[in-house]
Amino acid sequence: MTINWIGLWTMIRREIQRLARVPIQAVIAPLISALLFIFIFGFVVGGRIKNFGTYSYLEFVLPGVVMMNIVNAAFLQATSQIYFQRFQKSIEEILVSPLSYVEMIAGTISIVILRSVFTALGIMLIGMAFGAVHMHSLPEFLFWVILVSMIFGFLGIIVALWAKTFEQLNVLVVFFIQPLSMVGGVFNTVAMLPPWLRWMAYGNPFFYFINGLRHAMIGFNEAPTAIGLTLTLTLAAVLGTIVWRLYAIGWGLRE
Amino acid sequence: MTPALEISHLRKVYKSGTVAVEDVSLTIQPGDFFGFLGPNGAGKSTTIHCVTGITNPTSGTIKIFGVDAVADYRNARKLVGLSPQEFNVDPFANARNIVDWMGGYFGMRAAERKRRIDMLIERFDLVQHANKPFRELSGGLKRRVILARAMINDPKLLILDEPTAGVDVELRMDLWRYLQELNRDGTTILLTSHYLEEIERLCRNIAIVNKGRIVRNGPKEEFFTEPGGLERAYLAATGKAAEHAAVAAR
Repeated sequence: MTINWIGLWTMIRREIQRLARVPIQAVIAPLISALLFIFIFGFVVGGRIKNFGTYSYLEFVLPGVVMMNIVNAAFLQATSQIYFQRFQKSIEEILVSPLSYVEMIAGTISIVILRSVFTALGIMLIGMAFGAVHMHSLPEFLFWVILVSMIFGFLGIIVALWAKTFEQLNVLVVFFIQPLSMVGGVFNTVAMLPPWLRWMAYGNPFFYFINGLRHAMIGFNEAPTAIGLTLTLTLAAVLGTIVWRLYAIGWGLRE
Repeated sequence: MTPALEISHLRKVYKSGTVAVEDVSLTIQPGDFFGFLGPNGAGKSTTIHCVTGITNPTSGTIKIFGVDAVADYRNARKLVGLSPQEFNVDPFANARNIVDWMGGYFGMRAAERKRRIDMLIERFDLVQHANKPFRELSGGLKRRVILARAMINDPKLLILDEPTAGVDVELRMDLWRYLQELNRDGTTILLTSHYLEEIERLCRNIAIVNKGRIVRNGPKEEFFTEPGGLERAYLAATGKAAEHAAVAAR
C-alpha cells in the first residue's frame, strides 16, 4: 500500500499554520520559562555551587531544562492538537479522508517531534548566550530528543482521546509529568541524594531521559546505559502500539 | 452494475446505549440522485457517519462502488465527498485553507488543488471571502465553504447532509442547479433534507427512515400515486399522519 505523503505533509503544514497563530503559547512561553530556569538555577544559584568534574553547575543543569521542555512541548502539542480537533469536530476532516491510521498517527507525531526539536534548539541558543552548550554526541542527542518526544506525543494522544473536559487534559501533567521531571535529576546528581532516597531516581523514567540527554551533551552519565535505552525504546514501542490500536478501534474518535 | 452505495443491515448503538440505527439496508445505483428523508433523530446522519468513517458501525456492511467501507476504508474514502450537517472545521482557518487541506488529505497535488479550489471558490461565489476566517462568515457563506470542501476531490459519490439548512433562496436555487449539473455529469448524490420540495425537485429515488429503520423506499413517482404526494407519504411513513390530520381538523 502506498503512503499518502501529500496527506501527511498536509497534516504537518496545517498544524504549523495553527501554531503560527499562537506564537506566545507555542514558542515564546517555553523559551521564557527556560531562560528563567537557566538564569536562576544555573547562573544565580549555580554560581555558588562547586563544579561537577570539569563542568559548571549551569552546564550540568541545561540538559535537564532542555529535557523538561521537550517533555512539555511534546505532551502539550499532542493533547492540544487532538483534543481541540475533537472539540471542534474538525478531526472529522481527517477521519473521512483516505489516510490510514498509521498515517494519521505519523502526521501527529511528526509535528510533536518538530515542535520539540524547535523548542530544544531555542533553549540551546539561550544556553549558548550563557556559554553553557556542549555536544558530546549529536546522534545521541537526536536519539533522546526524538524518542522522548515520541513517548510524550503518544501519551498526549491517549490523554486527548480519553479526555471529556479541558480539566482532564491537565491530570497527567499535574500528577505525573511535573513531579517526576522535577525529581528526575534536573538539578542534582543521584550522589547528592541520601542513599535511602536514591531509589526515587532509579525508579523514575525521567531520570533516564535526563541522564541520556546529559550524556549526549556533556558526557556525564550516572545510570546504566542499557537500562535507559531499553526502558525508552520499550515505552515508545508499547505506547505507539496502544495508540495504533486505539485509532484502529476508533476509541474517542469514531464512537 | 456495481451499486454506488450498498448498505446492508446497518446497526449503530452508541456507547450510551442509544440505538441510533436499528436496521438500515438500501442500495443506490451509480448516477442516481437519492433522497434520504426522516425526522430529526431518525438515523439519517448516523447512517451517513457510518458510510463516511466518522463513526464505526456496530454491525452490518457498507460498500461504496463495491469497496468495503470498513475493511478497505482508504480506497472507499477516495470515492466519497461529504458535506456534513454541522460545521466541523477549524473556525480560525480561512475558507481557502479549509478547502486546500481537505484536498491535501486526499493526496491531491498542489497544482491540481489550486485549480479545483479556484474553480470551487468561483462557483460558490466565495472570491471576496476566501481569505477571511471561517468564524467571521455568515451562515450561508459557511455552508458554501463546507460544500466546496466536499467537492474538492471530485467525488464519485457526493453525500450532502442538509446542505441548504439556513441558506438563502438564491444560494439554494444556485446549489440545486449545480447539483443537477454534477449529477448529469455522472456524480451519484445522496441528499438528506427537511425541505420536501427540494427532494421532490432533485431526487429520482427516495427512502424514508424512522426510528433507525427504512420505512419506505422507492422511485419518486411511487410517492405521488397517492393523494397528498410526498408530504402525505412522509407523514404516513413516519407515523405522524393521524396527528397532523387531527390538528388540521381543529
